[in-house]
Amino acid sequence: MRVFQGWTLCVLFAVVLFLGAGCSLGDDDDDSGNGDASGDTGSAEAGGGGQDGGGSLLQEVQDRGTLRCGVNDAVPGFGFTGEGGEPQGFDIDFCKVIAAAVLGDAEAVEYTPLSAEQRFTALQSGEIDVLSRNTTYTASRDGTEGARFLHTTFYDGQGMMVRTESGHTTLEDLAGETICVLSGTTTELNLESQFQARGIDYTPLAFEDNEPLQAAFVEERCGAWTSDKSQLAGIRSAWPEGQGGPEALTIMDETMSKEPLGPVVSDGDDAWADAVNWAVYATIQAEEFGLTSENIGEGSEDPEIQRFLGEAVEGEPFDAGLGLPDDFAVQVVTQVGNYAEIYDRNVGEGSALELPRDFNALWTDGGLQFAPPYR
Amino acid sequence: MTAATPTTTRRPAFWRNVRVLRVTFQAVFLVAVVGLLLFLFDNVVYNLERLGIPTGFDYLRQPAGFAIPDTDFRSSQSLLDALLVGVQNTIKVALLGIVLATIIGVIVGVSRLSSNWLVRRVAALYVETFRNIPVLVIILFWYLGVMIRLPPIREGVELLDMVAISNRGIVVPWFDQVGGGLTFAIFALIGLLAAAAVWTWRTRRFEATGQPHRRALWTGGVLLLILAIGFVLAGRPWTLDTPETGELSTSGGFRLAPEYAALLIALSLYTASHIAEIVRGSILAVPRGQGEAADAVGLSGFQRLRHVVLPQAFRISIPPISNQYLNLTKNSSLGVAISYYEVTKVTQVSIAQSAPAVQAIVVLMGIYLVLSLFIAAVTNLFNRRLTLKGRR
Repeated sequence: MRVFQGWTLCVLFAVVLFLGAGCSLGDDDDDSGNGDASGDTGSAEAGGGGQDGGGSLLQEVQDRGTLRCGVNDAVPGFGFTGEGGEPQGFDIDFCKVIAAAVLGDAEAVEYTPLSAEQRFTALQSGEIDVLSRNTTYTASRDGTEGARFLHTTFYDGQGMMVRTESGHTTLEDLAGETICVLSGTTTELNLESQFQARGIDYTPLAFEDNEPLQAAFVEERCGAWTSDKSQLAGIRSAWPEGQGGPEALTIMDETMSKEPLGPVVSDGDDAWADAVNWAVYATIQAEEFGLTSENIGEGSEDPEIQRFLGEAVEGEPFDAGLGLPDDFAVQVVTQVGNYAEIYDRNVGEGSALELPRDFNALWTDGGLQFAPPYR
Repeated sequence: MTAATPTTTRRPAFWRNVRVLRVTFQAVFLVAVVGLLLFLFDNVVYNLERLGIPTGFDYLRQPAGFAIPDTDFRSSQSLLDALLVGVQNTIKVALLGIVLATIIGVIVGVSRLSSNWLVRRVAALYVETFRNIPVLVIILFWYLGVMIRLPPIREGVELLDMVAISNRGIVVPWFDQVGGGLTFAIFALIGLLAAAAVWTWRTRRFEATGQPHRRALWTGGVLLLILAIGFVLAGRPWTLDTPETGELSTSGGFRLAPEYAALLIALSLYTASHIAEIVRGSILAVPRGQGEAADAVGLSGFQRLRHVVLPQAFRISIPPISNQYLNLTKNSSLGVAISYYEVTKVTQVSIAQSAPAVQAIVVLMGIYLVLSLFIAAVTNLFNRRLTLKGRR
């Protein structure tokens, strides 16, 4: 019996030895490969965790044939689930813009709904290719989150929403009030710094998601709700009739901060960042040229527009060296639309939010939307 | 293999020597494990540096920027301070939760063995209900289903002008210090010493004469008396602070935030259902003869439970109950779901506000490890004191 036990032990040790050897061999390999080419096999297995060296995410996305886009699913107008179960909204449309530019197919997008707290981790780990989820561009996020902020698609500011019947019109009226806010947002930080600066006493109540926050607001657990004004407008427009409809809520005139929102990609992959950026610029440039999804097929005599549309001028189509197809702008505008169309459809005049263009008008109209020249 | 006869003098070859083999195998295994860990660590650091994410723990000194409700924490304080506030909040839930869960658990556990049909059935219903629902669901129920559905503050309820109830919190009267703290502290010290002396005296007397000692009654009485004298002589250092309901918030009194109350109640009820089963099992594990012996010497039903059965059951139940205490402490991390700022919530918020995720999670794990080891150490101490000599 003892002998038998000894044998089992020996076999066990042998197995462990085997496994151990396998491990140590494996990590020797990886260690030596770490410095130069961990991207070649490692990143593919790790779900695209890295994109150093030669393999840009741009190539990876084109090989894969789909774009993985991190989005919001709870903000009407910007990122939400439509009636057919399809994601819809301003930020969703920019996912489509990128897919149309890179892949030629606006529908080739895999959406990943993310909470405010998950978003940067998802981006860092390579779970998503691009984050298009009302994310404010700030210095510390740029510096420490390994994130690269691209062109601001929406210039926003923080606002405060209260019940109309409360009669509050200024932030000072909110002294002693409990204020609901999403945790992990710039809004949470602005709220604190603004109220501290003004010496207003308040109690924050920070939730991870909009759903429990809305429940708390409905039950008057908190008397005010702060967020980006565009988001508040979206929530207000979709306020259920049972709760009094949009009229029951008022958004204060005060703007507490500046919130530039735009797509974000992972640091250290310039080719991918350029591709995403120019896909976005295409929508703005198209609006400036007066090109819409309706008239873009008509063509133009203007060489600038011809260059933009990737038509052959003097033999060769213009290649900006961005790694995008020649006709990416055409794909973007025909499949999704120009900036004005995207804006109006989701948040502007053609939507329930009816937000004016304000800062988001073209630079030619006194706004801030500006695309660098395409040449 | 072990049957080596003393007459053989030749040592076996080293690859057949069990001792050599054992040491070798263990060394190889150790190297493999350490190698794997080093590889993982190296991988993490490499990837963080590639993305330009800081790898040290300096981030803890940055200002937090966010506020934590119901504390004195200022947003200009560091993330480390925020974490400490989070730890305090965790301890606040864990400690009170442990006390409540134990009380409810013991009562329900004993009730399950009651000879009264109704009591027995109600206790069984309680245990089966709470034990079979995930604790997160219980927490959400108490928060979204009960606490925030209390009347809003403008329709808040006040009981006898003492307790204010609304979904901004349950506010109870609390003591407000107005001065004379030192004098009172001296009296409190004298009171404690006197109480200890009385306790010893009653115990000695009981041992000498066998008459009922009533230690708790005597000691408590003496302590209360001295404290009352001290209170008056020190010029009434505390006044009762009753809640004052304003339009948007209440002032004064002690406010039990809905988030805290929901988490505390849910955790206590859930853990109590497990403790109840442990208590029931432990009582059943006490040999039947012990109870019969108690009957034989003429103890009453309560005395039998108090002096014979429960002390022995208690001894059996300590290790599994300490496990439940650990569970309760760790489950308090579910407070994130209802916006209670315990240490997990604080960590999550700081990660979202640009603290590096890997380090922050490592710190969080370290904190829970320390908390759990502390609780385990305390319960182990109890266990060792109570273990029968010679049974270990």
